[in-house]
Amino acid sequence: MACLAWVRPAEAQHWPDAPVSLAGGHVLVAGDVSATFGSEDPGWFTYTDYQTSAIRRARAGVTVEVRASDRLAFLTEIRAETGAGASAYAWYVRLSPFANGLVDIQAGRIPPVFGTYARRNYPQDNPLIGDPLGYQYLTTARPDAVPATADELLRMRARGWRVRYSVGDPAPEPGVPVIAAGRWDTGVQVRAGTQILEAAAAWTVGTLSYPLVRNDNSGGQFAGRVVWRPVPAFSIGASAARGSWLADAVLDARADMPSGRYDQRAIGLDGEASWGRWLLRGELVSNTWTLPALDAPRIVEPLTAMTGYVELKVRLSPRLYVAARGDSLRFSDITGSAVTNTWDANVSRVEIGAGYTIRRGLIVKASFMNNRRDGGRVQTSPLAAVQVLFWF
Amino acid sequence: MLPRRDSIRRAGSLAAAALVVALTAAHGPVALAAEGTIRGVVEMRGRQAATEPRASSAAMGMPAHRQPELRPAVVYLDAAPRGAFEPDGSARARMDQLDQAFVPHVLAITVGTTVDFPNSDVTFHNVFSLSKTRSFDLGRYSRGHSKSVRFDRPGVVQVFCDIHSHMNAYILVFAHRFFAVTDDAGRYAIGHVPPGAYTLVVWHEGEVRESRAVVVPDSGGTVDAAFVVR
Repeated sequence: MACLAWVRPAEAQHWPDAPVSLAGGHVLVAGDVSATFGSEDPGWFTYTDYQTSAIRRARAGVTVEVRASDRLAFLTEIRAETGAGASAYAWYVRLSPFANGLVDIQAGRIPPVFGTYARRNYPQDNPLIGDPLGYQYLTTARPDAVPATADELLRMRARGWRVRYSVGDPAPEPGVPVIAAGRWDTGVQVRAGTQILEAAAAWTVGTLSYPLVRNDNSGGQFAGRVVWRPVPAFSIGASAARGSWLADAVLDARADMPSGRYDQRAIGLDGEASWGRWLLRGELVSNTWTLPALDAPRIVEPLTAMTGYVELKVRLSPRLYVAARGDSLRFSDITGSAVTNTWDANVSRVEIGAGYTIRRGLIVKASFMNNRRDGGRVQTSPLAAVQVLFWF
Repeated sequence: MLPRRDSIRRAGSLAAAALVVALTAAHGPVALAAEGTIRGVVEMRGRQAATEPRASSAAMGMPAHRQPELRPAVVYLDAAPRGAFEPDGSARARMDQLDQAFVPHVLAITVGTTVDFPNSDVTFHNVFSLSKTRSFDLGRYSRGHSKSVRFDRPGVVQVFCDIHSHMNAYILVFAHRFFAVTDDAGRYAIGHVPPGAYTLVVWHEGEVRESRAVVVPDSGGTVDAAFVVR
């Protein structure tokens, strides 16, 4: 019996499943659109530095790469997000001085070299919906306002979404995360390396927690990162950063401001292991912010935040994967006039989820997270979210 | 352009359906007739662009510019005569992963063929397909390792790498043996075709681009059929 054997057209042909190439390959355009519908978050666990919940937002991004040659390119990423409007998330020149591609120089609003998550803060690169706490959770630290006393700092515990201090900007504003994944810093970066060993160093005008376009103090930040990939299945990275983080306006706010360096310092370790359908990632960051010791009871020790997460993704079928992330953010103790406590409330989060690929570039994700905090009005917050994502 | 291609597809499908009936009824055992060869050139007018790595502002380094690669067409008979369906189930083919590309970019096989996917790169790859004809996910594996997939249904299978989104390829699975992949010069030849009237189809990058009727005479011989695909 004869069998019909004509070939059907490929399924994805009417959907862009690759970047749009223009001008003979000199202009590449890629994009993503996502909409996330999540539970109300009365504890403000998932709010970002844009004062928008990571589980209740719509986001669209377009990345344009203009290649003048194989060694010179200009990149920009325009991102629009509910609550934040549209902005140029990244814009920089990338130069490869040598033909072998072992060295790159980037200048402008550049991707961060510290850690890994800030560079994969895209819905298609995040197997879940929430962000790691260290890259998203709003602490009570502010670069434009500082507490005069330890008591003032302790009164703000677990209120990172609306912090008010007496020195500097008096307006209540959100605090900063340990590392801001929601925006990038401005400066120059040099990367060199091979597939096995890679290193990058950058100087920027802001800091990890407070990236800037224009410097607001007389200092900048140096950051570096080394990655070792002995085999494709495994990589381990180490990062460090140190930068002036308090705005000049804070340092000029009081005549008796102690002289000294008020830095954000951070060191981090990250790793990735994968084989078959398994992908395991993790990061650990130790961060300190130094504040001026003003009035009694004084803040004499730097404020330390330790954060880390472990993330696992397993593909169950070509269309379906499951993922989980365990996350923790812990703060150092500080002594007030009546009590010794962590300067901000410790937080932990467990998130589990799944993603289903409807077709190439179209994914639906669902996740459930449980947040716990050692302080504040809302101390436990189970949250659920669904995300629809299209990318090309 | 797309409506035109859709109409070509529809026309091709209807013609194929009609031909199946016609061929099945018209042709008896094919071994007694002289066989012919259908050959020609498919001229591709337009840019043969390789898929570039996705523009990513988060990339740490400059991605290598990809040179235009050969993106061949596949020419095939829309329907085949009785006796043409002889999948032996033991055929093997190979689609390599080299320099972050699938090599070859287009593979045409018969039903029952097993395709090996070796990784020849220093990085991991994760070959997968969501196609209805054959969906699979081979997971991540490194250089020197290979995994295989058997294709038991005719159709188009679009292949991707889960790690490198610019890697893509096509596998066309046929229920008969009357097909050919064009060479570097666009030439093709389909041999051992029994006498009869057929619809000859040109497929390129996921779409049926052209089709036309051809007749292989009872005396066999060579039938020329050239195409221009814009």
